[in-house]
Amino acid sequence: MALTPAKKYQAALAGLLGHSQGRDAAQKRFVAGAISPLVLYMAVFTLLPMVWGLALAFFEYSARRSGGRLLGLGGDNPFVGLQNFQAMLDFSREAPLEVRLFHIGVKTTLLFAFLVLPLNFAVTLPLAVLIESVHSRLKGIFRTIFFLPVLAPAVGVAIMWGYVFHPQRGLLNGIRTLIGGTYVATAWLRDPGLMFLGIPIALFAVIVAYLWQDLGYNLVIFIAALQSIPESIKDAARIDGVSPWQMFWRITIPLLKPTILLTAILTMISSFQVFDIIQVMTEGGPSDQTQVLVLNIYDYAFRFQRMGWAAAVSVVLFLMIFSFSIIQNRLLQTEWEY
Amino acid sequence: MATATQAPSRGRRFRINLAYPILIAAGVVAALPFIWMILGSFKTGAEIRHIPPTFLPDQPTLDNYATILQDDNLPLAIFYRNSAIVALANVVQVLFTSSLFGYIFAKFEFRGKNVLFWFILATLMIPFQVTMIPGYLILAKLKLINKLWGLIIPAAIDAFGIFLFRQFSLSIPGELLDAARVDGASEFRIYRSIVLPQLGPALATFGMLTFMFNWNAYLWPLIVLTEQKVRTLPIILTWYSNQHSDQLHLTMAASVLVIFPVLIVFMFTQRWIVRGITLTGFK
Repeated sequence: MALTPAKKYQAALAGLLGHSQGRDAAQKRFVAGAISPLVLYMAVFTLLPMVWGLALAFFEYSARRSGGRLLGLGGDNPFVGLQNFQAMLDFSREAPLEVRLFHIGVKTTLLFAFLVLPLNFAVTLPLAVLIESVHSRLKGIFRTIFFLPVLAPAVGVAIMWGYVFHPQRGLLNGIRTLIGGTYVATAWLRDPGLMFLGIPIALFAVIVAYLWQDLGYNLVIFIAALQSIPESIKDAARIDGVSPWQMFWRITIPLLKPTILLTAILTMISSFQVFDIIQVMTEGGPSDQTQVLVLNIYDYAFRFQRMGWAAAVSVVLFLMIFSFSIIQNRLLQTEWEY
Repeated sequence: MATATQAPSRGRRFRINLAYPILIAAGVVAALPFIWMILGSFKTGAEIRHIPPTFLPDQPTLDNYATILQDDNLPLAIFYRNSAIVALANVVQVLFTSSLFGYIFAKFEFRGKNVLFWFILATLMIPFQVTMIPGYLILAKLKLINKLWGLIIPAAIDAFGIFLFRQFSLSIPGELLDAARVDGASEFRIYRSIVLPQLGPALATFGMLTFMFNWNAYLWPLIVLTEQKVRTLPIILTWYSNQHSDQLHLTMAASVLVIFPVLIVFMFTQRWIVRGITLTGFK
């Protein structure tokens, strides 16, 4: 770095007067002044909740009872060891209600996530390719249409779709009347008897609403990934007379593989945590057919005041998410070759 | 030569021609729920109960909107204000802390740095649902339940933001910072006048995502805010919807008033939001 004579003089003077040590001290003060509040803050609002959340899972805890001195644990909120977790392994018919609801929660959450993932990709990948193929001015318009639901509040989305699926006033039954001629008030969200391939229709209904809102995320990620494919590869394929269909399966998909894998993990992790749309559309019903784990945690912690049990369920949810996070980290460390 | 150039262009034309009808059909389907809600908000109470349902309103009316805006139990201005306070406060503080700590982690050495940074990264793996129960208990101890502060104080640090801004700060040239030091600028001054401008685009992008996330948040505000007057828009909307479950014309008008004004603003800023998502995979 070139210094002007004046700067050199200034620097030399500063050195003589010990200002460079002052500089070091100033940097130290700056870092200490910023980092110490960060450490204090994170101790209270990050570390404490993590430790406390884990600890709660080993207690029969309710915020209504005052309990022991340390964080209200102990006393009226007794330590129960692994009881909460042992109870989760009771698969008999006589298992208590919360255990049966937990089993339903795990099953529904997995079902939800494993249905969302392929359905999401079946729409977003072709849609991204189609949007990329149209005239550049229209690209923005189409992208906006499919991306707009991402920007809307999930509860608004749930209310909208609740109206679409409404048995008497809904759009869906209205359209069916136009096609079929007779009006049938199918209660898509409330009738537990409706099944398709052994999967409750109500679950499909919330999945449709969820997908509709969530598609835009993966769509823009795939569009960005498509834009990063070198034009030369596509041109070479076209000159070789590759059909669009072959282009999609043989060139686009393999080139997008790293993006697809990572997006799949992110999609799984976020669908494990679904809450807003289901809580507003079905509240877990009908007959607990859409009872996902987060709904379970919320109900037991804040409606039934059984926070120890809810914390134990949240630890299970954490383990489910954690296993996918590990896969994600592996993928991030993989070096992809073309 | 002539055939070689014609063949691909024919292929391209074929593909484009097919893309338009598919995209238009898919776009109409994607827009239908919005349209259905908006149409419903202009129907009379009698029409919305008509079986089978009508698509376009027979006698479009603005009465539903008038009812919502005159409803003393639903002072929308207050809920808009609550949502705005929380979202703006969180954007400002998260941008400040993320850029400051990101910069410090990128450009300074201090004791415990690696442990602290590793811890911050580790918290990204902990789902919110695990910490929300003790988070609520801590707020209860601090007497912050039913206060907007309860949504602001625990949101001061964003682990992902710190990580993101550390990455961006790494590319700031050290010479630039040293030159400012030689000129006698204080360390905070260097952060404010040199580092922040360098992070400008990232601040805009991450700020938009943070705003959107806070504006639409539901679960945490649902837990923290149980009293009517402090609630934010998403919670008040579900409350209203539950109160008027058989008056869908009113619920739809309320939904339009709650969702659309800000959705339209978001629409014009989606460039930043899209860039943020594609850059970070943020969800």
